[in-house]
Amino acid sequence: MKSFSKMVYPYIVWAFVMIVLPMVMIVLYAFTVKGNSVLTFQFTLDNFARFFRDTIFPTVLWRSLKMAFITTGLCILIGYPTAYIFAKMKPNNQAIMILLVTLPMWINVLVRTYAWRGLLGYVDLSTEMRVYVGMIYNFMPFMILEIYTSLSKIDPNLIVASHDLGANDAETFRRVILPLSLPGVVSGITLVFLPAVSSFFIPKFLGGGQYVLIGNLIEDYFITSGDWNFGSAISLIMAIIILISMYVMRKLDHENKEVLD
Amino acid sequence: MKKQSLSKILLISSLGVLTACSGSGSSGSEETKDAKELYGCSVINVYNAGEYIGDGVLNDFEKMYNAKVNYETFDSNETMYTKLLGGSAYDVLVPSDYSIERLIDEGMLQELDKDALTNLDQLDPVSVEMQKAYDPDLAYAVPYFRGSVGLVYNKNNVDPAVIEAKGWDILQDETYKGRVFMYDSQRDAFMVAFKALGYSMNTDDPEAIEAAYQWLIAMDKAVEPAYVTDEVIDAMMTGEKDIALMYSGDAAYVIAENEDMAYLEPYQGTNIWEDAMVIPANAGCPGLANAFINYITDYDASYANSLDIGYTAVNKQVFDEMSTDEELYGGISAYIPRDGYDKDEIFHFNEVLRQELSDRWNKVKIGE
Repeated sequence: MKSFSKMVYPYIVWAFVMIVLPMVMIVLYAFTVKGNSVLTFQFTLDNFARFFRDTIFPTVLWRSLKMAFITTGLCILIGYPTAYIFAKMKPNNQAIMILLVTLPMWINVLVRTYAWRGLLGYVDLSTEMRVYVGMIYNFMPFMILEIYTSLSKIDPNLIVASHDLGANDAETFRRVILPLSLPGVVSGITLVFLPAVSSFFIPKFLGGGQYVLIGNLIEDYFITSGDWNFGSAISLIMAIIILISMYVMRKLDHENKEVLD
Repeated sequence: MKKQSLSKILLISSLGVLTACSGSGSSGSEETKDAKELYGCSVINVYNAGEYIGDGVLNDFEKMYNAKVNYETFDSNETMYTKLLGGSAYDVLVPSDYSIERLIDEGMLQELDKDALTNLDQLDPVSVEMQKAYDPDLAYAVPYFRGSVGLVYNKNNVDPAVIEAKGWDILQDETYKGRVFMYDSQRDAFMVAFKALGYSMNTDDPEAIEAAYQWLIAMDKAVEPAYVTDEVIDAMMTGEKDIALMYSGDAAYVIAENEDMAYLEPYQGTNIWEDAMVIPANAGCPGLANAFINYITDYDASYANSLDIGYTAVNKQVFDEMSTDEELYGGISAYIPRDGYDKDEIFHFNEVLRQELSDRWNKVKIGE
């Protein structure tokens, strides 16, 4: 056992270099003024004040959160029934359907988004709708896969038992299947909401440059404006909001588990 | 920054094959040199704007010098600068005028070896005159392409007389709502606003900045433009919208492919610019880098570059041929950027201005 525990060390080094160090850099940038040399830091809260001084940046943040919420909601609405239908199919057909859902993911997301731009060019849609189509298309597979996995893990005997005890189909779904599949929905939400809230290339390519989200702002401040300090501050504000929503999700998940137990 | 579309590459590749063939005829007669023997190293790292070089140009150089060129591209001068700060080592860079000015100021470039640059006499005097604006001693740079910024418009849907009379103000005319592409660059957008209002594009006077900001907000409301970058080239070629802010080289290409389009440098004045080759102070193989710059300046490489990319050649002979031959870019006004107009300006690097503009430009785009 002892020798096995040593195998963890490379991972610790990896985690430090790849996860901790970049985070420390972002925090450092967010709290310092522009043009620091490596050794002399001048700390400031001005980057955060700048974000909230004007209504425009919080507006974009709100717009991004709203977009992520709606995308996640629609993914559940469409993804849950889809996953449910898959789970009811014969095993062979299930495998084929899951393959079909994952198939587009073999192709780079940029290429697929470009393809959508071509397709949507023939339809008269508002820029906002175009962005939604792209977002839902892109994130739906994650939701379907997560829900499908938890649905297919449900022991069929539980459903039989439910019927034996006098529950009809609707009651069985509401009181047995739905609660047991919620962990899948929760991890689906995590997989969809987090990337959706910070996505920047889908609004950029499908929104015709008329739909600025928080991810676009961060990209702009890092690359075009070269203002890494403000860009880091925006990233940090985002990270905190995501952290809070993760915490709330977990809490809900735990409460759900307690009810089941 | 001035990237070309995929379709353009495909379209032009057939031409490129022709040039490569004719090019190899002349370069084949030259003796093959050995970079290792001449300079002690045979690999250079070249960092250029995306899709900004002709077919076969690098290959021919590699053969000629028995050398290897590692070619990388950037999408904006700002990206390039960030990468340089990160410690990446290059032997040749091709930034824009204002960016070179900044690199010289910060001591990040080395002087070129004038003895190695035997082709400088082929340069167009107009280009050399422009170079004095960002490299006053003509010590650090050799011009690569030059151009202007202007409006590409569809002659069938926009009356040339109207757009010529209005100039930049056409971007505030509600008639064209939803029919305008705006280039997503704070520098170019504010240039338009400053010029429309009669200011210098190099001003950092708070009143002028505020006025330009308000002008852009009014523009955003009036025509609701789509903010785009390189995808504008394809979109204008297919005539997706009627008016677009573009660089002259891209405009020349669009017009060569779509005869309905025309190019206008508004009477209020515009930004004329030049991109040039420089060698960073920390270059690993400056000898071969100088040889590369000299090779690009020569007729063959300059011809291939300008033909494939559509930007204005700085080699005088190539420029004369390209701008007069109807089979090439003859008759396309965008190939010949306006020269000597007193309201046109070259952009100078200004860190204060850049910071002032970035928040404002984002706010214009976000709308509300």
